[in-house]
Amino acid sequence: MEVEKGKTAKYLKTKRPVPKEVTEQLKHFTKTKKLLLNALKEGDKTVPQLAEALNLPKDEVMFQLMSLLKYGFVETGEIDDMDEYYYYKIKSNGKDKS
Amino acid sequence: MKILEYDVLVVGGGIAGGESALNLANIGYKVLLVEKELSIGGKMILLSKVFPTLDCAACITTPKVSEIARHPNITVFTGAEPLKITKKGEHNFEAIVLQKPRYVDVDACTGCQLCEEACPVSVTDEYQFGLAGRKAAYIPFSIASPRAAAIDIENCILCGACERVCPPDCIDFTQTEEKLLVKIKSVITATGFQLFDPLKIPRYNYDKAKNVITSMQMERELAPTRPFNTVLRPGDGKMPDNIAYVLCTGSRDKSVGNPICSQVCCMYSIKQAQLLLGALPMADVTIYYLHIRAFGKGFNEFYAQAQDMGVEFVKGKVGKITEKENGNLMLRYEDIEAGVVKEAEHDMVVLSVGVLPNRGIDEVFDNKKLQLDPFHFINQTDILASPSKTSIDGVFVAGTASGPMDIPDSILSGGAASAETTSYLRKEDSK
Ligand SMILES: Cc1cc2nc3c(=O)[nH]c(=O)nc-3n(C[C@H](O)[C@H](O)[C@H](O)COP(=O)(O)OP(=O)(O)OC[C@H]3O[C@@H](n4cnc5c(N)ncnc54)[C@H](O)[C@@H]3O)c2cc1C
Ligand code: SF4
Repeated sequence: MEVEKGKTAKYLKTKRPVPKEVTEQLKHFTKTKKLLLNALKEGDKTVPQLAEALNLPKDEVMFQLMSLLKYGFVETGEIDDMDEYYYYKIKSNGKDKS
Repeated sequence: MKILEYDVLVVGGGIAGGESALNLANIGYKVLLVEKELSIGGKMILLSKVFPTLDCAACITTPKVSEIARHPNITVFTGAEPLKITKKGEHNFEAIVLQKPRYVDVDACTGCQLCEEACPVSVTDEYQFGLAGRKAAYIPFSIASPRAAAIDIENCILCGACERVCPPDCIDFTQTEEKLLVKIKSVITATGFQLFDPLKIPRYNYDKAKNVITSMQMERELAPTRPFNTVLRPGDGKMPDNIAYVLCTGSRDKSVGNPICSQVCCMYSIKQAQLLLGALPMADVTIYYLHIRAFGKGFNEFYAQAQDMGVEFVKGKVGKITEKENGNLMLRYEDIEAGVVKEAEHDMVVLSVGVLPNRGIDEVFDNKKLQLDPFHFINQTDILASPSKTSIDGVFVAGTASGPMDIPDSILSGGAASAETTSYLRKEDSK
């Protein structure tokens, strides 16, 4: 069968249902991303500060924040006075269009 | 089934298989290099800098890898592996190779990364050893070869965002797996090694204590394409200032089924310690060891250099690692010289995980037995006179597939395997 170029995802979807865990995982990421970006819009924060503000485990915040750093939504700011934790901030000209 | 013909099949595109393939191709043999990952380069391409010269790993690997990719006598299949290899006679082998779908036309992909940007999914990045995320449409890593996108179909929601933005229309969800029949005269197995899984030692708390990482994760933290903005604790983003190394994790340890020495972990830990002192000048680094194996050219000097730089070496056997409320780690260890049990606090712990055999390649050989050694590496049947020889005439071994070794030795071994393969092939040519 010839499938039109640019529409092949639709074709595979008819043959291969997307597992529920995969959509759940996407929801989780989208939600955490929104929480993190909103918290950073209120001001630059460190990982422990974000974890406290959002009531999330610190390692979870670290993982998602570093992913957002890679995807171009956030950037690294200054280090705190104790030279322990970096502040992270919304990237100017970044990927966040919301 | 499509039929292809080459002189030599090289299984595994790490530094050893790559070296073998290049040597054979340079003297005119046609080589098929089959790599199961999405990129060639093996473990080396993911390292930071390499002992004992502290050269940047990418700077050495990248030119080699692109020479392999561009060589007219080498065909590279990534995302592929042999399912069956049959010896039909001398200089006559047949392999069934499985090519998994990448869902991207590799030749058309320009590596623009627009698909990555468009993909809404974020999952754990295996090429950053779990430290950050990646998209489901992704280029494995920036220096990957081929530098082309791939779709992680297991985590894809089939939204089609990637194919809508791809300028050359190279995304293709209609791709399916393909089996190919490959006729060759000789085979090189360069299937490399796997890392010891520290979850097998529950008292080190690798899963629960978030600031206990593996040495491979530390390689990524130190590499230019690092997952974080600098070296940080994955548990909370703190910049560590008191780091411990636990040598022989999963090596020289009968209780985890691996009684042998991994040969590289002393040296790569000493290397990482030096790099850490460069990256974090205020940090203390302590290496807990049983014996330091610094046997190669320039290695002992490299060890002495680390001592001069202030790396602390403690002859001690670490029994247990426990996490404190603040994420710091308490190490309970036997101070071997003093003969007493002590405790020490560190804010990050690196487990120097050992080198284990990559299992399964022997089962691919159909009608002849590829012998393994007692530790399940490929047996070198004539280790002194002909180190690349295996139990099957015409099948040779290169690199860490035959046992733990470092990069210089893997390249030497790749060279030896190509020389022995040439002499095997020439026997036929001279008939
Ligand atoms: C943390 C760490 C740091 C290190 N640092 C240094 C250093 O500083 N200096 C140094 O000299 N050495 C270092 N080493 C050692 C170095 O990584 C190895 O010597 C080298 O990578 C071995 O290369 P190889 O080609 O034998 O194996 P690998 O790199 O493992 O390559 C094997 C390849 O074969 C592929 N493969 C396996 N099975 C199949 C199959 N069935 N079909 C198709 N493909 C297959 C794999 O995907 C892989 O790409 C370090 C190792 C570790 C773990
Ligand atoms: S190289 Fe060093 S750390 Fe690795 S197993 Fe041998 S002695 Fe232990």
